[in-house]
Amino acid sequence: MKRSIGEILGKAGIRIPLILWTIAVLYPIFWMFLGSFKSNAEIYRNPWGFPESFSFQNFADAWTNYNIDTSVFNSLIVTFVGALLTLVLAIPTAYAIERMKFRGSNFLFILYVSAMMIPMVLGWIPLFFLLMEFNLLDNIVGLAIVYAVSQLPFTIFVLTSFLSTIPKSLEEAAAIDGMSPYGILLKIIMPLSMSGIITVTIMNSIQFWNEYFMALIFLQSSENYTLALAIDFISSEAQYTNAWGTLFASLVIAIVPVIVLYAIFQRRISKGMTEGAIKG
Amino acid sequence: MVQSKKQKYMFLAFCLVPTFIMFSIFTLYPLFSGLYYSFFDFSGSSANMEYIGIENYIRLINDAIIPNTIIHDYFLVVTKIIGIMILAMFFAVALTQMKIKEAPFYRIVFFFPNIMSVVVIGILWTFIYNPNLGLVNSGLEFLGLESWTRPWLGSETWALPSLVLPSIWAGIGLFMLMLMGGIANISKSYYEAAEIDGANGWKQFWKVTLPLVWPQVKISVLYIVITTLNGSFIIVQVMTGGGPNNSTHVMGSYLYQQAFVQYNFGYGTAIGVMILILSLITVFILQLLMRRDKVEY
Repeated sequence: MKRSIGEILGKAGIRIPLILWTIAVLYPIFWMFLGSFKSNAEIYRNPWGFPESFSFQNFADAWTNYNIDTSVFNSLIVTFVGALLTLVLAIPTAYAIERMKFRGSNFLFILYVSAMMIPMVLGWIPLFFLLMEFNLLDNIVGLAIVYAVSQLPFTIFVLTSFLSTIPKSLEEAAAIDGMSPYGILLKIIMPLSMSGIITVTIMNSIQFWNEYFMALIFLQSSENYTLALAIDFISSEAQYTNAWGTLFASLVIAIVPVIVLYAIFQRRISKGMTEGAIKG
Repeated sequence: MVQSKKQKYMFLAFCLVPTFIMFSIFTLYPLFSGLYYSFFDFSGSSANMEYIGIENYIRLINDAIIPNTIIHDYFLVVTKIIGIMILAMFFAVALTQMKIKEAPFYRIVFFFPNIMSVVVIGILWTFIYNPNLGLVNSGLEFLGLESWTRPWLGSETWALPSLVLPSIWAGIGLFMLMLMGGIANISKSYYEAAEIDGANGWKQFWKVTLPLVWPQVKISVLYIVITTLNGSFIIVQVMTGGGPNNSTHVMGSYLYQQAFVQYNFGYGTAIGVMILILSLITVFILQLLMRRDKVEY
């Protein structure tokens, strides 16, 4: 193919919107980081530029005065327990649905997957009273359980499609050697599907770390707040206290783990999300 | 096989039963009892739970705020579909077919907002719209358009449209990737054939690219519809709380307010049932509208 001047100009023209969108995405995030180093006075004076000096005072304030330390701990617990419980529940079910043909396996798969399309907001009101009955309201472990079950449809969906790529002959060989089905699941299937398990776990962890609305409904006392709730609280306080610097510092605390995960697992995350999205 | 039938059933039960019990308790039961609650006057304590038949639904029909919440939801659905699909399609075509060297960089950057928390996005954009400190107003002033500046989220007219931009900002990467996946699967020979027939880039897009990525377009549109109807209340809650003067309330945020702020739980579930029914009807109608004969060559 020949390269004409028109083609070169066209390519440059295409780059303009791409660069503009890059700025539109990165600048607000970049600026949020800068803002976390500014004092409140400086944010008013110079909201969008570089800080005069890089001070960590806002982080210290957020950490101690606004109990971000507790919220980070709570978010870690919810994320870890939620992600682990999702796996414990989803792996055996995905394996049974994909590999053991039984009557109703197809129905069960459709039941789980169609739950992805149902607006859960209807279920949250009864769930509120159910958690109250179980003494799990205002309880981060209760929230982790709700999170885990809410991600079951997505996790089962992705894991079944992943398991279908593992050759059957390995299980058959292990069964002939006398391995129990429990052993096959634990020692053959799980190691072989580790890549899929890691992908869904990262996706679920980001989801749990970021989640806001169920936490808002199901948690009440501030010592149980997750990071999302703590930030929301600081944000509504900032209208009166002008604690913008503290707010930005806590936004940064919330977003850094996600950036790190994304930097490491960028391909897995985008692949996992597009696969999970194909569920309409 | 060495295992007996009984062993096989035991293993099946081990795999399926605990998960199904948890799913039933925390997903199925709440959904069905949501339907059930919607026939009760229920303010939170079981002592005050009174069966009132379809009264919640009568109230729903006569509630002057409800039609606005529905309109707001569909306003977000339509503007998001238009904004996201046009931009995502443009970026997807640019990054797959224009042979841009740094395409992976754009792909990674554009997707990044998709993994950010709605709270972080909402607060960030609340600040971008801030009348005194925000980027939007200072940008307009910089361009000499002082008369266009306004308190975006505090204005009854502008608050709802202002919520569209953050949603597009946060959503575009995912749909761009889905469309890129579709375009990557199109055989190069179609474009070569189109080139020989003298079709220019624009014509190639309409005659080759778009028909062949139609499945991805369809899934993307359905996905935007479902996630918006079922989840738009989160960005509303974070950025405006439904205000000013109910001008940004969507169905979900109104449900939240009725149930968890004003403790009208029975009425809240009736709103939830309405959201469920409207979502199902919308998805059904869209699937009819977007049914397009599969293109095969």
